[in-house]
Amino acid sequence: MDLTQNEKKLLMALAPLGSSDPPLLAELLGVPEEAAIQYAFLLQDRGLAIVEREVVKHYALTEEGRRYAEHGLPERQLLASFSGSIPMAELTRHPLAKIGIGQMRRKGWITIRDGVVEKTGTAEEGDDEAALRDPSEGKKGVTDLLKRGLLQETEEVSYRIKLTAEGTSLADQGIEIREETGTLSRDQITSGGWKDLRLRRYTVEKLPRRVYPGKIHPYQRLIEEMRQILLQMGFTEIYGGIVQSAFWNFDALFQPQDHPAREMQDTFYLGEKVCLPPGFEKVRDMHLHGGTTSSTGWGGAWSEEKASQCVLRTHSTSLTIRHLADHPDPPVKAFSISRVYRREAIDPTHLPEFEQLEGIVMDEGVAFRHLLGFLKEFYTRMGFAGVRFRPGYFPYTEPSVEPEVYVPALGWVEMGGAGIFREEVTAPLGLEHPVLAWGLGVSRIAMLRLGLTDLRLLYRSDIGWVRDTPSILSDQIPGGD
Amino acid sequence: MAVITLPYRYLERLTGVDRETIISRLPMLGSDIERIEDDHVDVEFFPNRPDLFSVEGVARALRGFLGKETGLPEYRVNPSGMKFTVDPGLAAIRPVLGSAVIRGISFDEEAILSIMGLQEALHWAVGRGRSKVAIGIHDLDTVTPPFHYLASERTRTFVPLDYEEELTMEEILAKHPKGRMYSSIVNDFPRFPLIVDDLDRVLSFPPIINGELTRVTTETRNILLDCTGTDERAVRTAVTIICTAMAEAGASIESIEIEGVRWPDLSPAVRYVQTGDCNRLLGTTLSPDEMAELLRRMRYGAAGAKEGMVRVEVPCYRADIMHDWDLFEDVAIAFGYDRFPTGISPTFAIGKPHPVNQIGSLVRQVITGFGFIEVIPFTLSNEAVMFTAMQRPVRDDLLRVLHPITEDHTLLRTDLLPLLLEICQLNRHRELPQRIFCVGDVVRGVETFQKAAFVSIHPAADFTEAYAHADAICRELALPFTVRESDDPAFIGGRRGDILVNGKDAGVFGEIHPAVLNAFELEHSVAAFELDLRAVPGYPGSPGTP
Repeated sequence: MDLTQNEKKLLMALAPLGSSDPPLLAELLGVPEEAAIQYAFLLQDRGLAIVEREVVKHYALTEEGRRYAEHGLPERQLLASFSGSIPMAELTRHPLAKIGIGQMRRKGWITIRDGVVEKTGTAEEGDDEAALRDPSEGKKGVTDLLKRGLLQETEEVSYRIKLTAEGTSLADQGIEIREETGTLSRDQITSGGWKDLRLRRYTVEKLPRRVYPGKIHPYQRLIEEMRQILLQMGFTEIYGGIVQSAFWNFDALFQPQDHPAREMQDTFYLGEKVCLPPGFEKVRDMHLHGGTTSSTGWGGAWSEEKASQCVLRTHSTSLTIRHLADHPDPPVKAFSISRVYRREAIDPTHLPEFEQLEGIVMDEGVAFRHLLGFLKEFYTRMGFAGVRFRPGYFPYTEPSVEPEVYVPALGWVEMGGAGIFREEVTAPLGLEHPVLAWGLGVSRIAMLRLGLTDLRLLYRSDIGWVRDTPSILSDQIPGGD
Repeated sequence: MAVITLPYRYLERLTGVDRETIISRLPMLGSDIERIEDDHVDVEFFPNRPDLFSVEGVARALRGFLGKETGLPEYRVNPSGMKFTVDPGLAAIRPVLGSAVIRGISFDEEAILSIMGLQEALHWAVGRGRSKVAIGIHDLDTVTPPFHYLASERTRTFVPLDYEEELTMEEILAKHPKGRMYSSIVNDFPRFPLIVDDLDRVLSFPPIINGELTRVTTETRNILLDCTGTDERAVRTAVTIICTAMAEAGASIESIEIEGVRWPDLSPAVRYVQTGDCNRLLGTTLSPDEMAELLRRMRYGAAGAKEGMVRVEVPCYRADIMHDWDLFEDVAIAFGYDRFPTGISPTFAIGKPHPVNQIGSLVRQVITGFGFIEVIPFTLSNEAVMFTAMQRPVRDDLLRVLHPITEDHTLLRTDLLPLLLEICQLNRHRELPQRIFCVGDVVRGVETFQKAAFVSIHPAADFTEAYAHADAICRELALPFTVRESDDPAFIGGRRGDILVNGKDAGVFGEIHPAVLNAFELEHSVAAFELDLRAVPGYPGSPGTP
């Protein structure tokens, strides 16, 4: 058995006494009392000693309690203030009426009928009154007084440390006590003095003090993982403003101006307005009558005023469409992971702001089947076991598709939307080839991967949660496929 | 979203298919199943397909999709001989009227609920909350044609639905539940839309409420339909969807003449599409005949024509078909999304991170190196946190949202430090020291750009800690920076510094002012730092403007 130096010292101090208390042992060892207790517990862990803990409770009267001890409990004083019976209205004028009446009634000293308080005749001294005179542990009535805030409880803890038979026999065999060295000094290392030292041994079974590394937020780590996948797949990253004109957020995406999603209830509008970009007329014409395509357009009216209003971007498609307008020549492979805004009340699964991932591929000869291929590849790389596709609807894509991924605990889970940008979207920007596009809620994946039931935790960080969430999640093997 | 209740028995009768098949195939037609109950299933259909907002419409589509009955459904319209006049005074109020006569219906309570459900769904999806289209359904046998659509005095009285006494139209807007709900659509006009019969009895005050006179009951056999609105295409859509749904339910449709035009027109529109265009969009190799067969399953009339063309007859109720690609999507749906030969396109491109995010990643790496933990606060905040608690004046270039939902989220953050202090406040019960940081967007004016900030809270946090870390971060980011004493009121005087890069303010650091600590209910000192990342070499010029 490898005892530490301190344990040995305690064992040898205890041996002639058989049993002792911490103050004496502390004095013998020349250490603080707490340290002596700590060493005793270590000896107890090894079965060499027993630490007996005794708790004695002491009671002291509070200030209010002291007053009552002198003059009697309020109900006693109140009872004494009248004889026989008294109208309730009169009794309530007594300064102690508030506490006293209820207590008298509870104790059965009085009855109240038709607004008159009448003594019942019994009013013997109760346990509480006895305890008030002399409070001590175990006495009836103490609990009542504690509840009423008339007594205050303090605990005194004391220890008694005894050697076990095993401890005694070990001490009898004799133990070598030699000074042990903790941290090696520079001098001890360089002089060779370390050769003669006895180095303290540590117990590895005991966990060390917890330290917390600096770390990237688990959600950011997930976003980073998605960025890396898309960069590896040859996509260029897009970054853009939170504030967008309704033109880029809606009109350029062929969302009709009276579309419900554009209403104030769903979108954060701002007082600001911006000028429409050159060539906006082509977008306008598309809405009005389909421009130069086979489309009929939405018909109705189109207002420049509405298009120039600023909004907090409701989807990151406002960024990808601007990127396409700036890069009309194929091939374009681009993505963004950006925060988007919806006018939603906050609850565990809805937030007014959250991250959205968006990817586009524009090239000669790309087709719907390639869109499904990209989606399958991306979700497989994200670690989802199965991917399947269902028809969907989005105003700016045709055909549209809703991908679903298989999650063992949940079954098939809807995972965003995708489609090919309508010609009504691409033609006004001068794009001549199909644009495959998909978007997904990043926070949705975060909930699945981080095992969250409340999205708010991602943004109102609980530092304890961030500290305790491992950098590598159990379902994620770096470099694995 | 429109959630439609589909009772199994009725749907099974209309389709001739069992409920298990229906439930398993419905999603592949384009819908989300919301709830599966013992006697019905609730299904959400997409807003572009209002023709699926009735049991009859769903049955019609399913019969085709499942191969029970394909091709164009044909609807006969016989003239009723009735007429409708339209007051030219409505031109600026609610000019468009559509109508039809529907005969030989037999309503039970369930069928009335179904038609009311369709009406409500159409009001939402096509009618934009009745402003664009409002639909009225009347018992035809209680009134006398011809009918008149008028611009009426606002004081005209009649008994509205669910009332027993007469009210003026103005009173209806003020008192009747529907009046209060929709008054904003008509309230500003000097006259109100009104439909009366030839004996001047009121059928309807569109788009608000019908008269009690023409209430539809289980006794009703013949219906007069009115659709009023501001957009002719939307009105036409509503009329055709209701008429064809009723025809599917066994009714016969008769036309009515509105100012010389016959309503409804239930004939298909004809389009010619190229098989090659479809194959290019989908990545398929369909022949014209195969494509036509798939289209017939989606209830189009379709036949191969010359030179790879397909002649398509689009049913009148398919208001969503605006473009050839809309037809190609239906080809894909009939083909089966689950049957596509998927593959990645050979498009060659080299992935490139955006410099802004590149810088962000780098800053994260540097700051975590000091042992800081990242947090990701909201970008929406409020004046109390952003300025008042910080003792800072409200910025002129602050961007407020027009209609915030809560007092907590009224503006976009202009700085990150206040949000970090707010997170410390939320984490008061957690072990100290807490060293947290954040890298993210802020908005000033309409421009979005990135900042980075850290705070360190513990009993020994001080100016020296803030300065040492600020200095180290700036050196790691190769900033050509200088420092001068700051006057930022969020910090203690004499314990604060501004970071200048090329003579311009780029950041601030120091020991947070005790009054600010009090405002955030913090009990220990805080060393803090914030940096505008536009100062970092390589940050691109204004990518974040609208």
